[in-house]
Amino acid sequence: MRAEIRRLAIFLLAAAALLAQDTPSASTPTPAASADAASPVPTTESWLTGYIDLGYRWRTDVGGSFDTYRSIINLGSGPKVIGADFTLIDPKHRAFDKVHVRASGWGGEPYQTFHLDAAKSKLYDFSADYRDIAYFDVLPSYADPLLTRGITLDEQSFDTRRRTASFHLDLLPDHWIIPYLDYDRDSSGGTGATTFVTDANQFPVPNSMYDLTNLYRGGVRLELRRFHATLEQGGTTFVNNQNVYQNPTGTNYGNFNTPVFGQTTDLTSLLAAYGVRGTSIYSKALFSANATSWLDLYGQFLYSVPNTSVNYQQADTGNLLLQSQVLFYTSQQYLVTAASKLPHTSGSFGAEIRPFRRVRILESWLTDRLHNAGSAGSAQTLTNATQSEQIAALLASSLVNNYNQEEINLIFDATSKLVLRGGYRYVWGDASDTVLPTEGLISSDQAKLRRNVGLGGVTFRPAQKLSLTAEAEVASSGGAYFRTSLYNYQKVRAQARYQLLTSLGLTADFTLLDNQNPVPGVNYDYAARQESVSLFWSPAGGKAWDFQGSYSRSSLRSNIGYLDPGTLTGQTSLYRDNDHTATALVNIKLRHRAGPTPKITAGGSFFISSGSRPTSYYQPLATLWVPTGKKLNWFAEWRYYGYGEAFYLYEGFRAHTVTAGVRFTP
Amino acid sequence: MRSISLRSCFAVLFLAALGAAAPATFPPGYAGSELCAVCHEDIAKAFAKSPHQVVDAGDKHGFAGRACESCHGPAMKHTESADATDVRNPAKLTAAAADKICLTCHLNQPTHAGRLQSSHAKDQIACTSCHKVHANGPNGLVERAPAAVNAQCASCHTNVWAQFQKPNHHKLPEGAMSCVDCHNPHGSMRPAMMQSFAANEPGCLNCHGDKRGPFTFEHGPVRFEGCATCHEPHGSANPRMLVRQEVRLVCLECHANLPTKNATGTIGTVPPSFHNLRLPQFQNCTTCHQKVHGSYVDRDLLR
Repeated sequence: MRAEIRRLAIFLLAAAALLAQDTPSASTPTPAASADAASPVPTTESWLTGYIDLGYRWRTDVGGSFDTYRSIINLGSGPKVIGADFTLIDPKHRAFDKVHVRASGWGGEPYQTFHLDAAKSKLYDFSADYRDIAYFDVLPSYADPLLTRGITLDEQSFDTRRRTASFHLDLLPDHWIIPYLDYDRDSSGGTGATTFVTDANQFPVPNSMYDLTNLYRGGVRLELRRFHATLEQGGTTFVNNQNVYQNPTGTNYGNFNTPVFGQTTDLTSLLAAYGVRGTSIYSKALFSANATSWLDLYGQFLYSVPNTSVNYQQADTGNLLLQSQVLFYTSQQYLVTAASKLPHTSGSFGAEIRPFRRVRILESWLTDRLHNAGSAGSAQTLTNATQSEQIAALLASSLVNNYNQEEINLIFDATSKLVLRGGYRYVWGDASDTVLPTEGLISSDQAKLRRNVGLGGVTFRPAQKLSLTAEAEVASSGGAYFRTSLYNYQKVRAQARYQLLTSLGLTADFTLLDNQNPVPGVNYDYAARQESVSLFWSPAGGKAWDFQGSYSRSSLRSNIGYLDPGTLTGQTSLYRDNDHTATALVNIKLRHRAGPTPKITAGGSFFISSGSRPTSYYQPLATLWVPTGKKLNWFAEWRYYGYGEAFYLYEGFRAHTVTAGVRFTP
Repeated sequence: MRSISLRSCFAVLFLAALGAAAPATFPPGYAGSELCAVCHEDIAKAFAKSPHQVVDAGDKHGFAGRACESCHGPAMKHTESADATDVRNPAKLTAAAADKICLTCHLNQPTHAGRLQSSHAKDQIACTSCHKVHANGPNGLVERAPAAVNAQCASCHTNVWAQFQKPNHHKLPEGAMSCVDCHNPHGSMRPAMMQSFAANEPGCLNCHGDKRGPFTFEHGPVRFEGCATCHEPHGSANPRMLVRQEVRLVCLECHANLPTKNATGTIGTVPPSFHNLRLPQFQNCTTCHQKVHGSYVDRDLLR
């Protein structure tokens, strides 16, 4: 009976197929094209693929500066989930078609990540991303005025963790109307050292920091054959709390222990708290259109209005000085209430015009306008044994930038192998920065930006294996916002890629930036160039071994004058950096007659520089992979970290790490 | 393409003959994906699991049942002759011509709103340089895992990857971040194809929210020219990825005490300060001017 039913079913299916073949309408999709027939997931495929790497890392004692090691490397000992990458497939497509998860660095690592993608065809696309990154920065050479007294304390150091999370949901993907929702969260918290600054002294003090930004957004995408529009509305909330304190149990003599007006200043207690709250709303509209066969149009309009309100409270005691009135005081209360608002409008519009078969004209225009307005009211009470001084102030600030850019490029397909590009960009803008009432010699700062840029490029692909690309910009300016801004500059980038053999590829890269500002009082001379070569060699498809390596050399020269603030004598800020960087990695498969193939990976990177901050940084590594079964690999990795600075010997360090673990593959 | 057996050729000829005998389901010249799969079995299998499979399955794009030909063009002649020159191969077209094929479907999507400002488009970097059209697997058509994304970008941007080997860098070599966290490879209206935060704010603020403000007392360069005025975002031998070896030089190059003698002005050159730079506490400006990214309460960025 069952066999008869099976035969009947086969007959019916065959008849249906024949009937479908006879369907005359060309516009009707074929049955083979139906979603079920073209299931993306054959049922024979495993529902779970991927791996998880578990291991344990041993780190040797760090030779040299442990603080610098933590600032740059920060890896510790202990058990780790080194990495995981899984794909789950539901052959029946119930809640999802596919879920993909990857994670790395769990188990006290400085960089922990988790990512999840889940999708169901034509219903939703969802992604979630989480990262937890440690930021530790204690480098005595950075900010240590007390080094000459033998105290190695970076007075602007911190030990924080930043956590970012992002969730994105697309509904009805692959339909013409796609609503979406998004939530992002970014927070950071930790402790550090900072300075409490008074008129005659700065006191290194501990602080704690916390900030949190929530971003909510939602929108809809309309995707039609010849037109697309995205409309999005979003908003943020922001919290920033910082506390700076000095316990009243001791006296802090600060960085400056020389008497001022016959007295030594000190700080005996401090509590300062910043309470910052912010919100913003923003709107976003994008469109693109294929208006005709020879014209594509693009446009964006973006508008945001972030604002903040601030309450700052500070109470401190000690022997402190108000320099402007030569007033020593023993206690201070300082309150500030402030607010600011930053309307920011951006827009761009572009067109790709194809008047002839071989010619394309790209025209684009953009504007970016932001106007920040802030105000702060403060009340300060200074008290000493004989008097109490009240100081109140009201300040208003304004920051304006109106930036505009117009660019046109003409692209000419000279032959099927040669494409030429030429163009012109004009950049103009104005900016101002004002705080009222003015203080001393401070007045409103204003500047204009005027820049003409010639653009050129060539792409030459004489054969499929060889491509040569070069682009250049040559600019002449009539005004710039800052002394070190781009002014009269030449920028060149060239690249050659050659696939010498199927297994051997070569790339060479060259970049140059030459920037001069000859305006009297500036005389800025800057030149940077970088050359790189890289090679990837994988004979026989990498069955026995493969190699990838790169070498880069870069040099930077910068000269600009300034007046020494102390002596008002002319000085030149010279910066030189000549460095060599190389990376290499060789994979060797230890093949033998039977059984799984162990693999050795060896290589690493080095960086050596000379010039204004000579530095060396070595990171060799070696890894051994040994398959111990169908679903299990054993691995071990050795790494060395060596860091040295010629001018700051006390910041060098050396450390070895050895990691051993297993990879499970379901 | 790799292994087209004699049996496959016979199968194609048979199916083509059957197709010729049966009334046409597709527009003239089109063979249909099933016929392509007879010879290009490995590609067809991969394609069936790739996101592009929706072109074959749905009618939104107008190529239901003939997804292969949505890119390769009508292939009936090719199925009859088995000659590679009888079908369009996007890999052999110029970048612009290949992109035009992709943009037939993908032009009108938000991803490409900044395409004209993209240096990739201007420098003839085809979509297929990064996207593998037939690919399948957990990541779809393009690399998604940070380490793989970085390796792909670094294969062209060797110079940039070298900068990440410097001691102070964003954590890309460690796999905690990827190039596309900061750059939009399809282009954006910001310089260097930078990503944006909350519509039109710099992408750096996606992670560095504490630097966002708005501050009551702003530091102009942060708003006008961005973080890269003072920092080397890819990596530096200098602490905190600064562009100079000492903080004071970063500051003094703009705050030079030298009034600029040009008509358009320059921001930040005055007022003069009279700090004695020989004293250790004045050798790092941020020891006192600690709120260098902008202050909520102090005009001199001291607190």
